[in-house]
Amino acid sequence: MNEKLKNNPVMKVLLGNSRLIVLLIMVVVFTVLTSGKFFTYKNLINILYAVSLYGIMITGAAFAVLVGGIDRTVSGNAALSGAVVAMTILTRGVGGGNVALAIFLGLGCGALSGLIHGLILSRFNIPAFLLTLATNEVLYGIVQFVTGNQLIYIRECALMDYIGQVRWLGIPIPVYIMIACVIFSYIVLNHTVYGRQIYSVGGNRISSELSGVPARRDILIAYIISGFMGALAGFVLSSMNQQASSTQAKNYENDVLAAIVVGGVSMRGGSGTIQGAILGAFLIGVIGNGMTLIGVDAIYHNMIKGLIIIAAISIDMASVPGSPLNNFLRKFKKKKA
Amino acid sequence: MSENKELLFEMKNIEKIFSHVHALDHVNFDVRKGEVHALLGENGAGKSTLIKILTGVYTKDGGQIYMDGKEIEINSREDAANAGIAVIFQELSLIPTLSVYQNILLGKEISKFGFISDSAEKKQIQDLIDHYGFPVKATDIVETLSVAQKQMVEILKALATDAKLIIMDEPTASLSSRESELLFKIINQLRDKGVSIIYISHRLEEVFNLSDRITILRDGKNAGVIEKEDIVPSEVVKMMIGKEVSESTASRTLKTSDAETVLEVKHLTHLGYYDDVSFEVKKGEVLVLTGLVGSGRTEVVRTIYGADPYDSGQILFEGKPIKPTISKSVTNGFGLIPEDRRTQGFSPLLSVTKNVALTSYDKIAKSGFVKASDEDKLGEKAVELTDLRPANPKVKVGDLSGGNQQKAVLGKWLTRDLKVILIDEPTVGIDIGAKDEIYNIIEGLASQGVAVLMVSSDIAEVLRVAHRILVMREGRVIKEFNDGVATQEDILLASSGYVENQEEA
Amino acid sequence: MKQMRQETIRRIISLVLLVVLIAIFTFTTDTFLSWDNIATMLRESAFVGIIAIGITGCIITGGNNLSGGYALGMICMVFAHLYHYTSLSLIAIILICLLAGLVSGAFNGFVVSILQINDFVATLSTGMIFQGITYILAIRNQYGSITSEMIKNPTILSLGGKFSNGIFYVTIVWLVMTLIMQLVLKKTKIGTYIYAMGSNRKSAEYSGISFIKIKMVVFIIAGFCSFVGAMFMLGRLGTCDVDTGAALSLQAISATVIGGAVFSGGRGDMIGTFIGVLIMQVLRNGVLKYGLTTAQQSIISGIIIVLMLVFDAYYNEYMQKRTTRAAAIAREKEGK
Repeated sequence: MNEKLKNNPVMKVLLGNSRLIVLLIMVVVFTVLTSGKFFTYKNLINILYAVSLYGIMITGAAFAVLVGGIDRTVSGNAALSGAVVAMTILTRGVGGGNVALAIFLGLGCGALSGLIHGLILSRFNIPAFLLTLATNEVLYGIVQFVTGNQLIYIRECALMDYIGQVRWLGIPIPVYIMIACVIFSYIVLNHTVYGRQIYSVGGNRISSELSGVPARRDILIAYIISGFMGALAGFVLSSMNQQASSTQAKNYENDVLAAIVVGGVSMRGGSGTIQGAILGAFLIGVIGNGMTLIGVDAIYHNMIKGLIIIAAISIDMASVPGSPLNNFLRKFKKKKA
Repeated sequence: MSENKELLFEMKNIEKIFSHVHALDHVNFDVRKGEVHALLGENGAGKSTLIKILTGVYTKDGGQIYMDGKEIEINSREDAANAGIAVIFQELSLIPTLSVYQNILLGKEISKFGFISDSAEKKQIQDLIDHYGFPVKATDIVETLSVAQKQMVEILKALATDAKLIIMDEPTASLSSRESELLFKIINQLRDKGVSIIYISHRLEEVFNLSDRITILRDGKNAGVIEKEDIVPSEVVKMMIGKEVSESTASRTLKTSDAETVLEVKHLTHLGYYDDVSFEVKKGEVLVLTGLVGSGRTEVVRTIYGADPYDSGQILFEGKPIKPTISKSVTNGFGLIPEDRRTQGFSPLLSVTKNVALTSYDKIAKSGFVKASDEDKLGEKAVELTDLRPANPKVKVGDLSGGNQQKAVLGKWLTRDLKVILIDEPTVGIDIGAKDEIYNIIEGLASQGVAVLMVSSDIAEVLRVAHRILVMREGRVIKEFNDGVATQEDILLASSGYVENQEEA
Repeated sequence: MKQMRQETIRRIISLVLLVVLIAIFTFTTDTFLSWDNIATMLRESAFVGIIAIGITGCIITGGNNLSGGYALGMICMVFAHLYHYTSLSLIAIILICLLAGLVSGAFNGFVVSILQINDFVATLSTGMIFQGITYILAIRNQYGSITSEMIKNPTILSLGGKFSNGIFYVTIVWLVMTLIMQLVLKKTKIGTYIYAMGSNRKSAEYSGISFIKIKMVVFIIAGFCSFVGAMFMLGRLGTCDVDTGAALSLQAISATVIGGAVFSGGRGDMIGTFIGVLIMQVLRNGVLKYGLTTAQQSIISGIIIVLMLVFDAYYNEYMQKRTTRAAAIAREKEGK
């Protein structure tokens, strides 16, 4: 490649991020395969709309992964917050002040749930994966309890109507909320002391502690952010659907986790970016949407997502010297040469 | 007597070259049948390189190896094992949750159709244990055993493979004296049964008592072979250090400072780790804690920093008693260069800048926000102060060489206003050039008035930087060198337990 | 003095817990200790227990397996699919199901040992894949929507039956498998290697034990367990749908942990897991007797899992500290 092209700023961004190239290729491929149906305004907005929800969750869950843990309760927190918001509005009647109370309670539940997880996980050496798997069940149990296992319709709540229905400049409000969350996470991770400490603790907790970093506090805060963002996503989801249910957002955590991993955030903590994770969400969103458009049945989606996670991590692992895959590739290259 | 015994093993003209440096320069080494042969030498004399060649970790660049008179090649661990050479590892390599006999026979089970014949295994191993009279049972679970017993299991593992030559590298480092006695008894038994042992230890006393012969290495060359009858401790030490070494590096004029005391420790005790440790460090002074690994030095330093607890005693900072926690220590102007930089010193995935800035956010951050340009300034300052190479603060610390990684760790603290720096074995695994730069940095800190408390096992290093020296042994301070001249010999003899024999200065 | 082994103390703790729970429920409810209820509990335990046998092996090697339940569901669906859409003989269908079980295990082993992906993430992903296959194979009505298939084959249905004393066949199979696997763990080479790998991977590898081989073996055993579970599940339900087995993984893992297996590997056995499964089941069943809703049940059982995890972490930490401390004090006493 010639030097001029290499120094072009657009090319620089592309070369630095293989996932962006994959995303663009996917967009082109699906556009061609659907003879343009993919690349219509309406469909692109659909993708944005669908991804926005995962995006909000990712901006929280990424903190847990970066600090060296994992948080599978984003879905449970979303369901809980949706249910709490809906129930508060229902029991208190509709009115401006009560909506504020509802939102406060809903998001507060998420933050509280994050606080509890953070307290346990920063203190004890428990696999975060298993703990949050179990507590997610608890959260859904609480949601069933709160909602009485009924679908709850939220009507006549002006704010939620507005979030769910209105578009600014042709783009749905949840997309703006996602953008705001991404900006928030980006700033925290890149421009604050706390963000620096997150990466440091995720990369080497012992050395960070010996440098005076309050690792336990940092882990605690990461889970609070994760819980809060999950709850925010739940509120947005309830606004989109004008309802809350006891199965709301169920299994979303798998997609969130998949996006984070596909987006290049290391499961071992300490490396990865929020941009990457969001890009991962778009990759998965685009693949899902594209597959639907070209007529791949939705039942294949779970399977393909599973394969994508395995493929994404394998590619990362293949670059680690000493791993079997890396050895294999080296042998293969030698044979070829 | 032992001269009559035939040779079991012989290494002739062994050479090993690391990047144009002769780590081993035509070294000869042999072991007789049923002999305990000690290998002595200072850190860096080539002992461990020789052992690594012997066990197949490194391949030699020249020379021959003979076993029972036949020339053999050792290119892997398997080759070494097949030749009948076994190592008792310092870090124990046993499976803690399995029993003694399962460990000894791991990978070589007595089985039919995949089913293990437990009774046959137990009997075989119990017979082996009884044969040597070790105080363990075949059915004991390894994790319930003491360190000494685990070591015996390691030895049994070697014996079970019919090892003819067993290498013991610092086997008493983590044993109590009673346990050590037991080990010596076992070593004597093994010798009587015709097993040969290569014994490596910094504890000269036990080396002199145990060995039939001693081979001394210095700077990668043979410095001498001594038969048991001819051992004179002070002579051996001289051979290890070398007569031609100039006075300036083999000794140091110490000086007591009359500056104000910054850090004082009174009767500090942590049961089982160290006992009744008292000392003070003055402004601009370098106090070195030396002694053997496991003598409690690291634990003392970590306690002062707030990373480990203690049972009793007092720590005073600028005259006031403190109960240290890490965060308080950092605010007070303490810094720590930890023992194992890889696991405790830095975040490998982050750049030098980010690692360095980690300790200084209380200074550069404004209400929690960080400006990248402020961090960059710190990173550049650290690179400049430590002469870090490559001189690029954006490089990930994990990608640097050992010496430069250590400079990055130093950089964390150099960019702060330090009052006390605690440094634990700063130059382990670092090449000579970088070592010198690190010493210069330490001296620079002291001249700026920082109180330096350093832990080191490298005697040359101790003499290079120390103003005062404390020698620790088994958790106690057993000797202080605070003025006059300290020589390499003094320190070596003190830390290996020869204090009483020395005439006090 | 020699200390009591961590495992022994842990075993005593879980046995005491089991007895206490049984006592509580016996005295506070009327029907808990009836023969019928015991038989039912043992049947329910058996499905969790069979999956837990596979998971225990994985956990002892220092890994985990979240996909066991999904594999069971997939195998059920393979059966239903072939039964509905083909005219293969029962034997052929069962053999294909067995193959599906073993292949699912081998695939897990491949992802974990050769691709070297963290066991949790790997088996979560393979679980998603197995679930996807379940959906793909699902039986559809003439409008194309998923229905559940009634399986009327008497041989399969007979697997859901019981002995004259009320004990179900599956309970006995669970018991027998537990004993066989306990034998494999404690008395065979491969069992020793499984412990060795989980306890100290490096030195196990130095002794010539292959990481890849051991991981393959434990996951293939887990796949086999999913197969056995699936056959009896079909016999019990006489049907299967896309959610069959999905909840089993979490229950089985929790039971394994409660039984004393430790995620870092090297500890735990089938007897412990057996006790763990019983504890979980007694709890589940006993709570049911208080007339709680499913929501309340899942809250309570989830919280109990969390408490067990916290207890286990605290306990392991404490034992670790106690051991180092005891060693240090012993050194101190003997030292001088």
